[in-house]
Amino acid sequence: MFTEFRLAEGVRLFVRRTTQFKTVTFSLRFRQPMTAAGASARAVLANILEDSNETHPSRAALRSALENMYGTLYYTDVGKRGDYHYVSFNAECVNDKLLEEEGVVDWTVRLLADSVFRPNMQDGNFKPQIFEREKQTVLERLSSLYDDKTRFAQQRLMQLMRPDSPESIRATGDEEHVGALAGQDVLDAYKRMISEDEVDIYVAGDVDPEAFSEEIRSAFNFEGRIPAVSPQAATERRGKTGRVYERQAMKQGKLHIGFSTPVLFGTEDFPKMQLTNGIFGGFPHSKLFMNVREKESLAYYAASSYLSRYGLITVSSGVDPEQAEKAAALIDEQLEAMKAGEISDLELDQTKAMLANQLREALDSARGQIEIFDQYKDLPGGFSPEAWIAKWEPVTKEDIQKMAGTIEKELVYLLSGKEESDDADA
Amino acid sequence: MRTLEFDRLQETLYHEELPNGLQVFILPKKGFSKTYVSFTTKYGSIDNTFKPLGKSDMVRVPDGIAHFLEHKMFEKEDGDVFQKFGANGASANAFTSFTRTAYLFSATDNLYPNTELLLDFVQSPYFTEQTVEKEKGIIGQEITMYDDQPDWRAYFGAIENLYKSHPVKIDIAGTVESIADITADHLYECYHTFYHPSNMLVFAVGAVDPEEMMAFIRENQAAKTFDKPEPIVREFPQEPASADVPARSIKMDVSKPKVQFAVKLPHPDLSGIDALKHELAAEILLDLLFGRTSDFFTEAYEEGLIDESFGTEYTSEAGFAFAVIGTDSKDPDKFAEKVRATLRSAAEKFPFGQDALDRQLRRRTGLFLRALNSIEYIANQFTRYTFNGMNLFDTVPALEDLQVKDLQDALVPLADEQAWSVFQVLPDKGE
Repeated sequence: MFTEFRLAEGVRLFVRRTTQFKTVTFSLRFRQPMTAAGASARAVLANILEDSNETHPSRAALRSALENMYGTLYYTDVGKRGDYHYVSFNAECVNDKLLEEEGVVDWTVRLLADSVFRPNMQDGNFKPQIFEREKQTVLERLSSLYDDKTRFAQQRLMQLMRPDSPESIRATGDEEHVGALAGQDVLDAYKRMISEDEVDIYVAGDVDPEAFSEEIRSAFNFEGRIPAVSPQAATERRGKTGRVYERQAMKQGKLHIGFSTPVLFGTEDFPKMQLTNGIFGGFPHSKLFMNVREKESLAYYAASSYLSRYGLITVSSGVDPEQAEKAAALIDEQLEAMKAGEISDLELDQTKAMLANQLREALDSARGQIEIFDQYKDLPGGFSPEAWIAKWEPVTKEDIQKMAGTIEKELVYLLSGKEESDDADA
Repeated sequence: MRTLEFDRLQETLYHEELPNGLQVFILPKKGFSKTYVSFTTKYGSIDNTFKPLGKSDMVRVPDGIAHFLEHKMFEKEDGDVFQKFGANGASANAFTSFTRTAYLFSATDNLYPNTELLLDFVQSPYFTEQTVEKEKGIIGQEITMYDDQPDWRAYFGAIENLYKSHPVKIDIAGTVESIADITADHLYECYHTFYHPSNMLVFAVGAVDPEEMMAFIRENQAAKTFDKPEPIVREFPQEPASADVPARSIKMDVSKPKVQFAVKLPHPDLSGIDALKHELAAEILLDLLFGRTSDFFTEAYEEGLIDESFGTEYTSEAGFAFAVIGTDSKDPDKFAEKVRATLRSAAEKFPFGQDALDRQLRRRTGLFLRALNSIEYIANQFTRYTFNGMNLFDTVPALEDLQVKDLQDALVPLADEQAWSVFQVLPDKGE
């Protein structure tokens, strides 16, 4: 899919030439092992580097320049995958070929290089007023989780099941660490990111890969680095099991259930587990939707997600708190049915077709191409969508039954306005 | 079949009006592996008072019925439509807005079986008292889910403030109480009135051969019979120009107050490029006044009055229009006061000239070209524009036609203090 160029040790460029889009899309990703302190500092750093840079030294100046460049999109972001934390610099600009003027793409490359290498500094550190303000912004983003009950409940489930580990550390860090940050901490995080992180640069659009790789190489003068590898967890990560019920002022009950499986991303059984999750609760034809919603009318949504890097499957559903026990029992029944081999040919075929469709569809956006390639590229044998789809084809009902057999329920979490007693066993 | 070429955009659009009145548009996109097909009726939550097809008296149907009908279209005597799309590897969905109900799928395979499924399921209603009752539990949970979302409550609270009796103030899904009254007979009555092909539009975009697809849809429609189309008679209450309630707040369990500053706007009866210009002028003016390069944004962000949740939104449909400027804010009163001061000062002396407009025109041109990467955007927006008498692909010529005077004209209704309203969601932590 993408042509790979090695710019330096630990720094790779991936270019995909396509005429499918009217724009050129860029993403630079800096990766390092995840810690709560690191994520917190890097979240504030990402915001500072989105605000302005040396060439465009205020938010309004930078935004005004972007508007003038035909509304070029520029933003930074933080994310996590497995045990790693990412800071990304993202841009998308209209391809010059569709405009009456040239230079928009080149300008965007310079903007990204400036954003990474020439931040808006004063006396050797980020400007204090920008640092303070963006620290505040990140704190507010963290606390706003409380207002979104579905996300809040999912985060609580992860915290309870896997406390203080990458599964439950948010990409934005936490309030305690962000609150304690000083300007020097963020500057240190910046220096470390620039010199030590593994770097992947993505470009998708109607550009010539060879010529473009030269442009990127000279705009981004990265030095070689040997990226740190995340230490394997020494002990199995375990938190609370059983049930935890918590209350907030709200009408609906948010039922979130956590399961674990030893089947991880990239293993031989991984494609089988993707299908297993799809049959369980990945789609509107899946067991959860068909039974919890369509048959019993207990919920508007009931779905499962496979967090393959962590060996976790989580189910979420919004239910009347009075009906939560009934819904939880019905969810258990669906998994038990799969363990007993109750999987129809139709369910299996539908799920194969839907997974294939989902993958092919995702590739119809530049960002989707980058996301998917980035996730799968380092698997042995590389990645092509059709080769991956072929891995789902031969999976049988017996395989699904076997996969379902590895799934164990760990924790039922209910957030609701209803009075309930806590009865978790740790 | 009519062909419309948009050379500068490198796009070609195919159009045909079928004998039964159905509008069909097809836009092939090179390089795409998926096709997105939507089938939309010009019928939404605001259409609650109308003359049923073949009858002479107006009826008033329960709130939330358009959305309820959308849900029920997926259940048939022989099972669930999602299952059938699933078997074809297509993801299907539907949504109901104030003025439209859309059914859609996207697929990378089995394009014609999926298209047939879409056309046929939307054109074969099947409602029984039993299936209608069953749906009330599901939609009840959907309504409760929205009730718990403070951002939705803030947005809808602001719209409720603006309108005295126009049905745009009613939540699209209705309430648990209003949907309790819905019967299968109601659904059939709404269906027959609003789902006539002459009130509907098909848009197919992506990996699609226009000739083949047009022939397929033509044949599918020719095999079905429909009543003679009648003009649809809808009734809307008279609405004053001023906001109904100038200020209101509710309490919820939120970490930080939420505030929406809303302005009720006139909705002149325009169509074509004039309508497009009117809409673009209002949007550009909002960007200039409150967007990320504005003095307002710079100051309000420095002062901590706004955060990452800040945004503006302009909505314009046949019969109503409004703008909302909203954020989470530690000091919602001060935020609202700053918005008022910004509008008053702009009305006193118009702050934007040709330079500011030119920059926004470049930005909007780029945004439009970028949006054309998304086939979902094209299908949804094209349908909306067509139902409102506009053409999405006229956006660039309309932009090029805009003058500073158009922005000045757009400011007049926005600065009308009688049309302003503020809605707040305030933290309620004491229990």
